[in-house]
Amino acid sequence: MSTRVDSMKNGFLVVPFKLPQSKKLQEHSEEACHYMFIKKHQSKSEQEQNCLFLVNLPLLTHLENLKQGFGSILSQYDAVAHVSQLLHHDEFGLSEVDLSSLTSDLMSAGDAEEKRYTPRNTALLQFVDAASVDNAWSALRKYSQERKQSKIVTWNFNSPSMATFINFYKPLDLDYLKEDVYSHMALFEQREQQAQEQAQSSIVDEDGFTLVVGKNTKNLNSIRKKILNKNPLLKHEKIVKPPSMVDKKAKQDFYRFQIRERKKQEISELLKKFKEDQEKIKEMKSRRKFNPYA
Amino acid sequence: MAPLKRTASETIDKEDQLHSKGASIHKKALIRAIENGEEIDSGSGEESVVEKESGDEDASDEEEDEEEDEEEDEEEDEGKGADKNTHSSGKVNAQDVQVARATAELFKSNIFKLQIDELLQQIKLKDSHILKVEKFLHKLYDTIQKVPEWEETTLAGVDAYFKGKIVSVPFSDPKPAPSVQYKFNYKTPDVSLIGSFALKSATYDPQGSSIDVLLTMPEDLLEKKDFLNFRCIHKRSVYLAYFTHHLSVILGKEHLTEFLQLSYDLLNKDPLCPVLKIQCKPGGSSEYNFYKTNFSINIIVGFPFNFFEIKKLLPNKNCIRVQEDKVTPTPLYNFSVLSSSTNEHYLKFLYKTKKQTEAFKDACMLGKLWLKQRGFSSKSSHSGGLGGFGGFEFATLLSALLCGGGINGNKILLHGFSSYQLFKGVMKYLATMDLCSEGHLQFYSDLSTATNLPTSRYVAEGFQTPTIFDKTTKVNILTKMSVTSYQTLRLFACETFSLLNDVVKDQFANIFLTNLNKLQDIKYDMTFELEIPTQSLLLEKFGPTEKIKFVSFENFLVNKISNVANIALGDRVKTLEVELVNYKTYFSISKRKPSSHGSSLNIKVHVIVNPSECEKLVIKGPVNSEEFNSEAIIFKNFWGKKASLRRFKDGSITHCCVWNTSSSEPVISQILSYIFKLHLAENVKVSDTIPKQFQELIPLPNLPASTSMSVLNLGSYYNMRKSFDLLHKTMFKLELPLSIKSILPVGPAFRYTSTCQPVPYAYSNPDFLQDVILEFESSQKWPDEITSLEKAKTAFLLKIQEGLASSDAKYKTFFARDESIPYNLEIVTLNVLTPEGYGFKFRVLTERDEVLYLRAIGNARNELKPELEKVFLKFTSKYITAIRHNRTIENLAHTYPFYPPVVRLFKRWLDCHLLFSHLPEELVELLAMKPFVECAPFLIPGSVENGFLKILKFLSQWNWREDPLILDLAKPDEPDVGNDMNFTSGIELDSKAADSLRDNFTIPQMKGIQSNFASLRKSDPQGMNVQFFVASKNDPSGILYTRNIPLPIATRLTALAKVAINLIRTHGLNKQTVDLLFTPALKDYDFVVELMMPTPLKISSGVLGAAEFKNLEQPQNSFPADLSNMSEKMDPSFQLVKYLNMKYRNSIIFSSHRYPGVNGGEKGDRNVITGLIKPTFKSPQKFRVNMDANVRPIDNEQVILNKEAIFNEIAAFGKELITDFRLN
Repeated sequence: MSTRVDSMKNGFLVVPFKLPQSKKLQEHSEEACHYMFIKKHQSKSEQEQNCLFLVNLPLLTHLENLKQGFGSILSQYDAVAHVSQLLHHDEFGLSEVDLSSLTSDLMSAGDAEEKRYTPRNTALLQFVDAASVDNAWSALRKYSQERKQSKIVTWNFNSPSMATFINFYKPLDLDYLKEDVYSHMALFEQREQQAQEQAQSSIVDEDGFTLVVGKNTKNLNSIRKKILNKNPLLKHEKIVKPPSMVDKKAKQDFYRFQIRERKKQEISELLKKFKEDQEKIKEMKSRRKFNPYA
Repeated sequence: MAPLKRTASETIDKEDQLHSKGASIHKKALIRAIENGEEIDSGSGEESVVEKESGDEDASDEEEDEEEDEEEDEEEDEGKGADKNTHSSGKVNAQDVQVARATAELFKSNIFKLQIDELLQQIKLKDSHILKVEKFLHKLYDTIQKVPEWEETTLAGVDAYFKGKIVSVPFSDPKPAPSVQYKFNYKTPDVSLIGSFALKSATYDPQGSSIDVLLTMPEDLLEKKDFLNFRCIHKRSVYLAYFTHHLSVILGKEHLTEFLQLSYDLLNKDPLCPVLKIQCKPGGSSEYNFYKTNFSINIIVGFPFNFFEIKKLLPNKNCIRVQEDKVTPTPLYNFSVLSSSTNEHYLKFLYKTKKQTEAFKDACMLGKLWLKQRGFSSKSSHSGGLGGFGGFEFATLLSALLCGGGINGNKILLHGFSSYQLFKGVMKYLATMDLCSEGHLQFYSDLSTATNLPTSRYVAEGFQTPTIFDKTTKVNILTKMSVTSYQTLRLFACETFSLLNDVVKDQFANIFLTNLNKLQDIKYDMTFELEIPTQSLLLEKFGPTEKIKFVSFENFLVNKISNVANIALGDRVKTLEVELVNYKTYFSISKRKPSSHGSSLNIKVHVIVNPSECEKLVIKGPVNSEEFNSEAIIFKNFWGKKASLRRFKDGSITHCCVWNTSSSEPVISQILSYIFKLHLAENVKVSDTIPKQFQELIPLPNLPASTSMSVLNLGSYYNMRKSFDLLHKTMFKLELPLSIKSILPVGPAFRYTSTCQPVPYAYSNPDFLQDVILEFESSQKWPDEITSLEKAKTAFLLKIQEGLASSDAKYKTFFARDESIPYNLEIVTLNVLTPEGYGFKFRVLTERDEVLYLRAIGNARNELKPELEKVFLKFTSKYITAIRHNRTIENLAHTYPFYPPVVRLFKRWLDCHLLFSHLPEELVELLAMKPFVECAPFLIPGSVENGFLKILKFLSQWNWREDPLILDLAKPDEPDVGNDMNFTSGIELDSKAADSLRDNFTIPQMKGIQSNFASLRKSDPQGMNVQFFVASKNDPSGILYTRNIPLPIATRLTALAKVAINLIRTHGLNKQTVDLLFTPALKDYDFVVELMMPTPLKISSGVLGAAEFKNLEQPQNSFPADLSNMSEKMDPSFQLVKYLNMKYRNSIIFSSHRYPGVNGGEKGDRNVITGLIKPTFKSPQKFRVNMDANVRPIDNEQVILNKEAIFNEIAAFGKELITDFRLN
């Protein structure tokens, strides 16, 4: 391995982990290392205090093996830090988009801006208190400057077993499914009712007008935000309008000028098309489209 | 009367004057050519020269007018009274209007006319080449005059004369007997230039074109009776040999033999007519070397016109007397003699037409090119190949149709027609009028310009041989054409005629620009190679009568083979072509005739299959009757042991032959193997390994008797469908809170395109559970939020499940999560296993879904919007267009019987090359549909290999950056050619065709799709985001199925197809190349991971191995009692790859076989994962928090992909599956 890098320019510590030798890879790999990039997390959010921001987590990382890895680093420098939880870790990008909240009128409480957005392959590691974070941070800093190979901590992967893959094909448990559906539906109905009641109660706005709401309106969001979003497919399609009734009925050849105009128009159209065709041919010619022996 | 004229071209001039025609085109042409040559450097002065010339000659003599002139002349013809001087008045605008208007009427459209103009520019001869070769022609003319005359010599004298000389006499078979009394001689001939070069309708051909020079033997060398018994033929052979000898001596003296090559050739493959061919070698500085022009010169020796009594040379007369036989007609011999005396006559006839008809020359050039692209030429097709219809025959037919041609002698074409109209008229005539079995065309090649000439007429009397009969010269100009060659010509003419009527798509390239002969395997559906080890048996059959009838053994053999094949195959084929491999017509001047073949004869039989008939099991013969029936005897004799008597359902007892279908061998191939052995020779070898090999590559279902099912058999699909229909009925009977509106199948097996055929209980097959979409009556009550909506759907599915469980039918059910829509993790499907052993996967579609997905796009942050649009497209394709797609493809699969097996083979090929998992099934099916719905200029595929190769060929040539693929998914209509011959112009036809357009695309629809493509490419000109634009009526946007394909996968598909087509083009189809086509190139990937699965999946996928112990492969015959045990026989590698792709989505593309049961080794327990690192990650880049890749730092700014760590991760991830890890 070439020169060691302790930290990146933008303040991330580079934290290496030695990877265990894999039998399958013997011929190829020398000493492979995984590099995690770590920074102190600063956020106003209450829930995100005392956090380290981790970039590039190893395969199938979860709280336990992360604790283990950090634990062995900390112990090298006799530091103690208590980890509480791993936040916003979404290795396979499953919940990158929360369709539910995007489609629901009931749950879209806040603005989109306020919603957290964590890039993929990153996570927050929360510690119990500020002291723990500081301890961990200073230990990691020392560790990242470490030059002795022997001191580098080994990371242990949790390999999924064959059963893990096979289990994807297992049928859902019927009782569990029923329970899940019924409890969710009950919850949803409750929320819906609440919203409807709110909507039905008369609302007076700033100008003193009362908003009149229909009997079946379940909530106000649907009124507030008319869905004007176009079908994205339509961006790629042009729609040909059929002629309207008025167009059909009006006589086009009543006056002489109409006929003259029409003829003029026809000729100019013909000419326009002819010119276009000529252009097209020129272009085809330049692309050598006329060689029958190509 | 030796002419004193100096040049070969001028001799024609002389002839013209003899006939008092005034205009000496050839002289003029020559002068002009020379003038041009001089003025080439100083720009084009052509026009002025022509103007000057035509000033004092005939004004209509202009040949190479500019467009404007031409158009105006046409306007005049139509009496529109256009002012003749408009173009000189300089008013560009008014002139353009006229041009535009005229072309729109006279041609199909403006663009078509412009395309034709460009094309004609491309294919005309280069002036510099003409000049160069004319120089040599002058020289040749002088040299010919120097050949000394001879004196009357006996045969013995001739032998003595040529003894010890290099040149041999090219006597035709049979050689003159030593006893012959007639004498041989040489006198200076009459020299003239004939053929298309003389007519100036020659086209440029990179393969080289020939110039015909005719030497007419003086009359005093021949006697009136010489047309009998080869006498004139032999006299001519000696004449040619004497001439050749002296020519080579004189040329040698003048040091011209340094670059000139002399050889004999057979004119149009006619064994009776040897000619001298002069070619050039490169090098030397002689001004006469015309090597660069790629011309060759044929010196043809002809007989004087009208010297022999033409009545005695009618096609049905006998002119070779064998003993007392004076009856057996000798049409080929008669034609050879007659046509040798009419060469010049026809030149004059065509020249006359050319002068009368402005666009004649252009139409001839178009026709010639059209024929050439389809493999036709003037060469005789009696000794194999296509032929008998080349530029000359086209021009003659065109001339005949200009003087009539209808049933009442009405004119088919008018002199004022444009080149396009003339061409189209000929195409229509060829397509609609039967000139072989039901009728023929007769015409008069009269040279006078009088107006009261007899007109040509279509006569409803067929001679069972293609016939266009010239009453003036008594020549059938189609004599050289065999019946099969004519069939092929008609087939192509029909197709081209319908292309010409297509007003929606631009078919120009398909009509003129594509050369169909580049890949024989694509032009023909199947090719059988015949090897006849000894000719002895056949030679015995080639008796005296056959000898005079067929003239040569080759003609006899080809005729025999095509007759046998035609009778045996009947309407199973549309046409066929017999090709003699290694048959050469040219030979050295020291030889008497072309060298004969080796010990065995190699013959290829190319077949164009009629897909709807080809796999028929029974050939019905005549009805059995008590009394003597000659038909029955013929039938029995022809079929030998295969003929049997059968009783049919309607009670009739009929002679017939019954064949067996097989999954690997087409019925046609069985028939041919049998019948050739019976009628040609016992030991004939018919090789049909290629169709077999391709058909064996299609995964075979593990069903009883599956090896004896035809590839066209859809029985396994029908069984699945039956089971579905039962389930369908049961479900509609259920009592539900909201009743079911529709149950719509969308799985690929419902349209017969699934890679593996449905096999009961074969649940390891990834396609085992066939998708079905369930819709309920509309309701306002669906939740207005996606998670809850999915939960509500699940609640309904639970109700259905309860209903099914309590019904009597023994359905097994289970629920599973569905991941087909990204980010929607709540979709649950109801999977139903039927007692018949099939499985269906039900998902619910509501009217709310679409609104919610659209709302999600609206509510999302801007940077997420593209992702959500993808989700929406995915939903649309999975739930909405899937229904239409399924219906369309299912319909078309019935119309094109070969579509299902072809698409299955194509899917297998894609999976073999690890591409299938990246491409949506619908897209693959659309790509495979292309050669079927848009086959032009080829025909609809009639075999598995043909369809498959056509897909590859299309993919290899598809420039998706510039061209959209727009598929008209409509059933083909029978070319509406009708029987009315009373059409007057192409214009009417166009409007008619436009009206009768079936449910095809209309012009606005087409334009709409084209503009969709244009706007897509405007935003993404290089095609970085969306590569394939595949539109149809079901998806005018063109991107529904192609939006998510990674760029490297799209380019790889194109590259693989290119490699495949190149391989076949260079090495042909054989065992090795076909194997190679289906061998994945793993070296192209960055790394390869070999997998081994704990359970073999082949048997449980319902796939039958090719040649293993079939009885050991007991298929599964039940589902496990506990359905969760089914998972044990599922493919774990699929999940592994899925998660790898999710994890490394941003940096690496993983591929693997989707069907380990098919591509996973002998037992189906192997798979392979390949990784392709995206190009941006191959070099260091700046560290960013959101780069989403496993990287290692290089310095404090730059990072690079940490491959070692990734490999470790992969190894850890697939620990129990991986057997090997290779880096490339």
